[in-house]
Amino acid sequence: MNDVVLNLFPSTSAGRFGRRQKRERGSRLPVTIVTGFLGAGKTTLVQRFLKTPEGRGTALIVNEFGSVGIDDALLRTSEDTVTLLGNGCVCCNTRSDLQIALRKLVADRERGKIPHFGRVLIETSGLADISPILQTFSTDRALGGEFAIEVVLTLVDAVNGLRNLDTAPEARKQAILADRLVISKVDLADSRTQKKLAAKLKELNPRADIDIAVDGEIDPKHLIESGQDATAARHSGFIAEASHSDGIASFVIREKKPLEWPVFQRALDTLVSLRGPDLLRIKGILNLQGAKGPVVFQAVQHLVHPPVELAEWPDKDRSSRLVFITRGVSEPQVRALFEACKALGFVTGE
Amino acid sequence: MKRAKSLLRSVRQAFSGSKKKPATKKSAKKVAKKSAPAKKKAAKPAVKKPAVSRKSGQTGADGTVTWNFKQLSHHLLDGFGGMGEGMSVQIAPDGRRIIWLAHESAPKNFTAVDVSNPRKPKVVCQTDLPHSDVRSNSLETCGNMMAVAYQTKGKNMKPAGMELFDISNPEKPKSISFFDCSGEHSRGVHQLWFCDGEYVHMASSSADFVPTHPQDDQFYRCIDVRNPSKPVEVGRWHMPGTKQGDNVAPPPRHPLDKGYRAHNCNVYPQRPDRCYLAYIDGGMHVLDISNKSDPKRISSWTNSPPYTGFMHTVVPLFDRGLMLVTDESTENNAKDWPKLVWILDARDETNLVPISTCPLPDHKAYSSRGRFGAHNIHENVPLPTCWQNDQIVLGTFFNGGLRAYDISNPYQPQAIGTFVPPPAPGAPTGTTQINDVFVDEREVVYCVDRHIGGLYCLEMDF
Repeated sequence: MNDVVLNLFPSTSAGRFGRRQKRERGSRLPVTIVTGFLGAGKTTLVQRFLKTPEGRGTALIVNEFGSVGIDDALLRTSEDTVTLLGNGCVCCNTRSDLQIALRKLVADRERGKIPHFGRVLIETSGLADISPILQTFSTDRALGGEFAIEVVLTLVDAVNGLRNLDTAPEARKQAILADRLVISKVDLADSRTQKKLAAKLKELNPRADIDIAVDGEIDPKHLIESGQDATAARHSGFIAEASHSDGIASFVIREKKPLEWPVFQRALDTLVSLRGPDLLRIKGILNLQGAKGPVVFQAVQHLVHPPVELAEWPDKDRSSRLVFITRGVSEPQVRALFEACKALGFVTGE
Repeated sequence: MKRAKSLLRSVRQAFSGSKKKPATKKSAKKVAKKSAPAKKKAAKPAVKKPAVSRKSGQTGADGTVTWNFKQLSHHLLDGFGGMGEGMSVQIAPDGRRIIWLAHESAPKNFTAVDVSNPRKPKVVCQTDLPHSDVRSNSLETCGNMMAVAYQTKGKNMKPAGMELFDISNPEKPKSISFFDCSGEHSRGVHQLWFCDGEYVHMASSSADFVPTHPQDDQFYRCIDVRNPSKPVEVGRWHMPGTKQGDNVAPPPRHPLDKGYRAHNCNVYPQRPDRCYLAYIDGGMHVLDISNKSDPKRISSWTNSPPYTGFMHTVVPLFDRGLMLVTDESTENNAKDWPKLVWILDARDETNLVPISTCPLPDHKAYSSRGRFGAHNIHENVPLPTCWQNDQIVLGTFFNGGLRAYDISNPYQPQAIGTFVPPPAPGAPTGTTQINDVFVDEREVVYCVDRHIGGLYCLEMDF
C-alpha cells in the first residue's frame, strides 16, 4: 500500500516504508510484557512498578487465558473489568481475547471513560506461551498499527527456576524470548543456586540482561526500556550462539553491504512460507539500498510487522543485523537461503 | 526611507541566513539548556513549572493529556494569556529567538517572548491596543519587520487596517506605517500573510467596498510593502455576488450564517503565482495572482452545506499534490460539530477532490464545554525559522487540544499525538481552548490558548 500511495503522493521526506520515525515504535503505544512461571513474583513486581513515577499512566492488563493460578486469586475482580488503580493507572483483567481488551481500553480512553494512559503492561499467566501475544502485536490488522512491544521481561524464581527451566518447556520459552531476565526471590536461595541459574539463563538467552529483584523491586526503567538495541551490536555474526533441548536456537545474521529490499523480501518470504511456525522471533535492523536510515524489521512466526525506517542510525555501524530465535532452523540454513537469494538477485518488475 | 532599506536588508537576510546564525535543530538541545543572554532586563515572567511528567504518553496529576508530546514549559504571559492566531518566530539581530504572538482580543495588542531556551520563555515586550473595540488577532514577521492586522468590533471605527513595525529591537517595536482600511462598511483586517518581505496578503475590508451583506465585508487584498513607509494596494479579489454592483446574485446564506468573506490567504514561493484563499462560508478558492493587479479564480471547493461553513485555512503540500483545508469551530458545546481538517487530492488544481479527514477525538468526551473542533494548523510558513513538513499535520482543536496526525498515507490519516492541558485558572468555559500552533525549525512546538492559558512550548516525540 505504502509504495502505491507514495507513488501517487510522493514526498522527499518519506522513505520506502513511509514517514521516517524518530524511534523504533514510532508513535505507537509502548507495551511491556511481564511473564514468568507460576510463583515467580510477577504481581509483586508489577504492583511495585505501578507506584513509581515511571509507572504513572500505565494500563495494566492481567491476562489469564483461562488458566487458574495464584495470580488470579490475588488480582481478579471480575471478568474483563477495568479497575482504577491510582497513579493514573488502570487495570483490565481479561479472560477473553487480548485484542478486544486492548481495543476497548483505547476506545474508553478516547471517550474519556478511563484516565488517559500512555503505556500498556501485560501480565501474563504463569503458564502462558508468549508467542501468541507477540503475534497479536505483529501486524497492522491486529494491533501492530497502534501498539509496539518495547520490553518482554521474564521473571525467574531463584528457588524453583532451575527446576522449572529443566522440566517445563513453557518456562524455557519464556526465558528464550525475553528482552530482559529478572531473577526473583534471591533471599530464599543460596548463592550457588543463583549462579547456576544465571549461567543457565545466559545459555538460553545470551542477548538479555539479567537483573536481580529484591522484594519485587528492580530499576523501574527496566520495565520500559528493553536494554537491547535493535542493532544486536553486541553479537558477532554467523555463529549459532545457543541451542536448547527444545531445538530452539538463537543466532545473529550480519551483512555489511547494503541489501536490496526485494532480495531480502524474497528470502524472508521463502523462509516464512517454509518454516513460519518455527520462526519464534526475528528482530533487527537492515541497511537497505536507497534508505537514508536503518529499517527496523520484526517478524513473529508467519507474521511480519510492517518495516519502519528510522530517521537516523543509532551508531556508526552501518551493517544489517538480525537476531533469529528459531526452532529447528539453523543459522547455516538461513545464511544459505540469503546467499542464494542474493545470487538470484532482483529482476526489475518483480 | 533609509530605515526602510535597512529593514529590507534584514528581510533578505531572513532568507539567506541572518548575521547571527540561529540555533540549528542539532544544537537545539544545547540551546535549550543554555539560556540566551537577554540584553535588556525584561519583566519577570510567570514561568510555571510544568505540571505534567516529561515522559511522553503520560497523564499529569492535574489531568493533562500528553501522548507523544513533551511539555517543555508553560507561560501565562503575565496574566494576558488570551491568544489569537498570529504566531511568528524572529531571530533578532542579537541572536535571540523571539516568538511574536497576536492576542485574541483587547486589551493587549501583541506579545514578544524570548524562546531561545524553550524551557524558560521570557516575555520581552507586551503592547496595548488603543481601546477595547479593536483586536489584533493576526500578525506575521519577516526578518526584522512585522505586519499586524487590526479589526474593529463595528463598522466605521478606527484603527482598522494593517500596521508595519520595525522589530530590530524586540523590546521596543517601532511603528513604520499604518495602512488604513476603515470605512462606512469596514471592520478592517482580520488576518494577514507576510513572509517574502514584499507583499502582505490579507483578509480586509476597505472604504470603497460595499458588501451585499454586512457579514461579507472582508475580501482578499494584496498590499505592496516594498517601501514599508508607504504601503500601496496592488490587487484584490472578492467572491462574486458579495459586492454591491456585481452582476451575479448574492450567495445563499448558510444556516449559521458566518459570512462570505476571506480568512487565510496563503502564498508560497513554490507557486508565487497562486494564493490559497479560505473564504469562511464561501469555501476555498485557488487564485492565480501572476498578475497581482488582477487575481483570477482557478478553482474552488466547499464542504458546506451540508457542513456548517467557516472554512479557515488552506495549506498546499506541493511535492505531494495534496492540500490541507481546515474549518473553524465557532459555536460553544460543539453545536457546529464536526469541524474537520480535510485532505484534498490537489494533483489537478482545477479539480480538487476530498479524500479524507483527520479523525476527531470522541464527541462525548469534548463537546460539553466551549468550542470543540478544528481551527488552525501548522502552515509551513516559508521562512527559515519555520519547520517544513508534508508528512505530519499539527492542528488545534480548542478543548480537544493540540493534535498530530501522520498523513504519510493521506487516505488514512492516523492520530499520533495529543496535548490537552488542563484549563488555566479562571478559564471562562472551564476548559482549555487551544487556538493556534507554530513549529520552529528546531522542531519546538508552540501552541496558545484562546482565553487565558497563554503559551505552551512542547517537543514532538513521534
